Amino acid sequence: MRSAYLSYAAKRFAQAVVVILLAYVFTFVVVSILPGDPITNVLRDPQNGFTEDQIRQIIAAQGLDRPIPVQLWTSLSNFVTGDLGLSMRSSRPVTTLIAEVLPSTLLLASSAFAIALLLALTIAYGTQFLPKRFGQGLLRGFPSLFLSVPNFVISLALIHIFGFQLGLFRVIAPDSFWATFFAAIALGVPVSARIAEVLIANLDKESDQEYAAVARSRGLTQVRLFARHLLKPSSLPVVTVIALAIGELLGGSLITETVFGRTGIGSLVQRSVSTQDLPVLQAVVSLAAVVFVLVNLIADLVYPLLDPRVKLIGGRRVRPTTADDSAAATTAAVTS
Amino acid sequence: MTARFSSLLLSRRRLLAATSVVAAAALTAIAGLSPVRSAGAPPNGGDITFLIDSLGSTWIPNNSAISSFQGHIWGHVTDKLVYVDADGKVSPWIAESWEQNGDATQFTLHLKKGVSFSDGTPLDASAVVANLDIWYAGRRNEGINPIGLFPKTYDRAEAVDAATVKVLFRAPTLGFIPTLGYHGSILISPKTIAQPAAHQADLAKTSGSGPYVVAAWKEGDFVKLVKRKDYNWGPPAVGHTGPAYLNSITYKLVSEPSLRVAAVQSGQADVAYSPSPQELKSLKEAGFTIATPRYLGFVNGLAINTKLEPYNDVKVRQALQAGINRKEIIDTVYTPDWKLATSFIQSNVPGATDHSDLLAYNPGKAEKLLDDAGWTKGANGIRTKDGKQLSLTLHSNPYLATAKSIDELIAQQLGKIGWKVTIRAYDVVTFGEKVRFGGPAVPAYEVTRSFIDAGTVASILTEANNGENWFNLGDSDGKLNELRDKIAGAASLDIRNPLLDELQTYVLEQGYFIPRTQIVQRIYVQSPKLKGEVYNGIAYASYYTATIGE
Repeated sequence: MRSAYLSYAAKRFAQAVVVILLAYVFTFVVVSILPGDPITNVLRDPQNGFTEDQIRQIIAAQGLDRPIPVQLWTSLSNFVTGDLGLSMRSSRPVTTLIAEVLPSTLLLASSAFAIALLLALTIAYGTQFLPKRFGQGLLRGFPSLFLSVPNFVISLALIHIFGFQLGLFRVIAPDSFWATFFAAIALGVPVSARIAEVLIANLDKESDQEYAAVARSRGLTQVRLFARHLLKPSSLPVVTVIALAIGELLGGSLITETVFGRTGIGSLVQRSVSTQDLPVLQAVVSLAAVVFVLVNLIADLVYPLLDPRVKLIGGRRVRPTTADDSAAATTAAVTS
Repeated sequence: MTARFSSLLLSRRRLLAATSVVAAAALTAIAGLSPVRSAGAPPNGGDITFLIDSLGSTWIPNNSAISSFQGHIWGHVTDKLVYVDADGKVSPWIAESWEQNGDATQFTLHLKKGVSFSDGTPLDASAVVANLDIWYAGRRNEGINPIGLFPKTYDRAEAVDAATVKVLFRAPTLGFIPTLGYHGSILISPKTIAQPAAHQADLAKTSGSGPYVVAAWKEGDFVKLVKRKDYNWGPPAVGHTGPAYLNSITYKLVSEPSLRVAAVQSGQADVAYSPSPQELKSLKEAGFTIATPRYLGFVNGLAINTKLEPYNDVKVRQALQAGINRKEIIDTVYTPDWKLATSFIQSNVPGATDHSDLLAYNPGKAEKLLDDAGWTKGANGIRTKDGKQLSLTLHSNPYLATAKSIDELIAQQLGKIGWKVTIRAYDVVTFGEKVRFGGPAVPAYEVTRSFIDAGTVASILTEANNGENWFNLGDSDGKLNELRDKIAGAASLDIRNPLLDELQTYVLEQGYFIPRTQIVQRIYVQSPKLKGEVYNGIAYASYYTATIGE
């Protein structure tokens, strides 16, 4: 069992490294085949008054006239040694740029995540215990509703109602508490939908299980039943969903930050895309890939430890169907 | 009951009276404590917020000084050797006086003494030489660009003594002194100049000698400037040379134009940059200050590609010149703040002359010219010649927000006299790739461009000396070449101005350049409480002289 787990972990880890490198190369190729380049775009602004000859010299000095494979190799070898280089747009170190904006995004994403979890739990609890005629069906519709309303619509509505109408925050001070709170709501709502969907489906399944019926017959209160018995087994698949939610948070922060006027990773990406600032894009995409892959890796590695019913078969985890749950439950938990 | 009530009222009234007396006394006491101001002296202090649509890309001084965005900040953090006002008039600033030799190849600058950069370095002759060198050459291998519009005839500069600089050119360069007041020519501490690009890109580490210093900044977010208390060398032309009045100026990026304006309307900010022209009328009526200063440069218009059929025919170009109703453009797209073009350079440029007669709207004349040139109207209203349609493709300039609206209007106007106009609106990247002066698919290139000195105009038009060959004439137009060489070699304004007038007449008569409107590229909406700002020759607002009231 232990060796099976180790080989599983090693395989997962190798996959993670490959994904990060592929993400890096993919970004490079995509940005390179786009027309134009950041330096030329700036130099061609007629206000600058550069001659074609001067433009050529400046581009050569930046190494932008070398063949794409050569540029990619240089960039990749620097990346592997931890050198992220200078932004083409601002000439400042990429690490500095990211360090400047990361705290703002981390605050937004973690607040959004907390809000999403709270919202998902509330909805899921409601679907289990609200009587049918008190809107249980309505609650079950919430996740799809949350997913279908675009992030920027929620953002604009929140800004309009709480910023302009009620004056809770000023649009030109996006880092204030209330502005952050509403931005986190806008970002958290779609993420909560994903978590709620999985949670509801699992809760439905678990409450049909024998043990739930037994617990109910012993007269457990609703809250105790939910928190002590149903939530834990239903939450395990949520671990996987949370890993996916990180991706949603990263993507959504781009839009939310732009609409709310926050200066974070999202707005940095937006500025860098519009000027094709390759080094910054490379760093951000790689960072996102690292975070994403790492969270998934942790989820994959922790899952077998959490759920004794999971079997590891050649680098994949297989969970038996609930029919043999009783048998699986008796097997000892994996110890690492 | 009533009696009691009235006595209550009385006591309330007494109370009110008493409190107001106390309040008045308190106010008098406070007034007594504040320093006595001489009558009419501007109020000191206050902080303003300026909402801007972008903070540009890099802060390397050489690469960002002429940006429409960062130029605002540089204008407060740095000084220049000379001051150029909105009429192009040059006056002393850090250079108190200057001389030039007979053929304008040698200049001597005499510097003001006692000026220092915010890092403590004196602003002396050696500092000026370091600045001139980097403006001319940049450090390209490091990504520090030269200042594009600095005279390419520059040879070298020498510090004669601590307050005297001698500047030498390889050819007559009448435009040198006005160039020193242009937005690229900002004086930066030699300590900053010596640093590598990555260091220069950190705005907080850059030292200028201006009335404000950078207190804090965050890329893509804001720049906060605070007053420098020991500043004492402002340009006399703005009527004030001591420290600034406002304590701080915060430039905050808000990318949505309606949000910028709404914030000023609601009192959350003091200035909004680049509102949409359509909003100006209602803002003005609501009591906000609207500023639409013009910069020194070319008017917004079209440079015609004379190699491309049918624009190789002077009659067709002249028909184009007469077939555009310029007044309708201003009435429809803009507000009365915009001015009719009177030449192909802005009317506030020294040396610009009035050629309104050549730019009058005359559709009858245009139709006759086209008839004479053999373009006949078909049943659908479009003119043809030898089976070809009379067509014009306009590429709307992405650097000007209103360009496409103007193109649409021009398409209607020209459609009436038989033109088939196609409009292409590319983004900045594609425009830069596909649209060039004289490009094979570009019959007309839309120009928005500032310049420093009218002397540089003629050399841009042809291809000699790295010129941009605007009309794709190469060296085929002898008269244009002759005017270009005479203007470049002119050693004085008395010689140059008549030549400039001749050049303007010739270019417009030939239909080489089709003006549309005088250009306003910088628009400001300002709170009525903020007063006393000054606009220089490149239309940047300077709040060095500004004050904010209650």
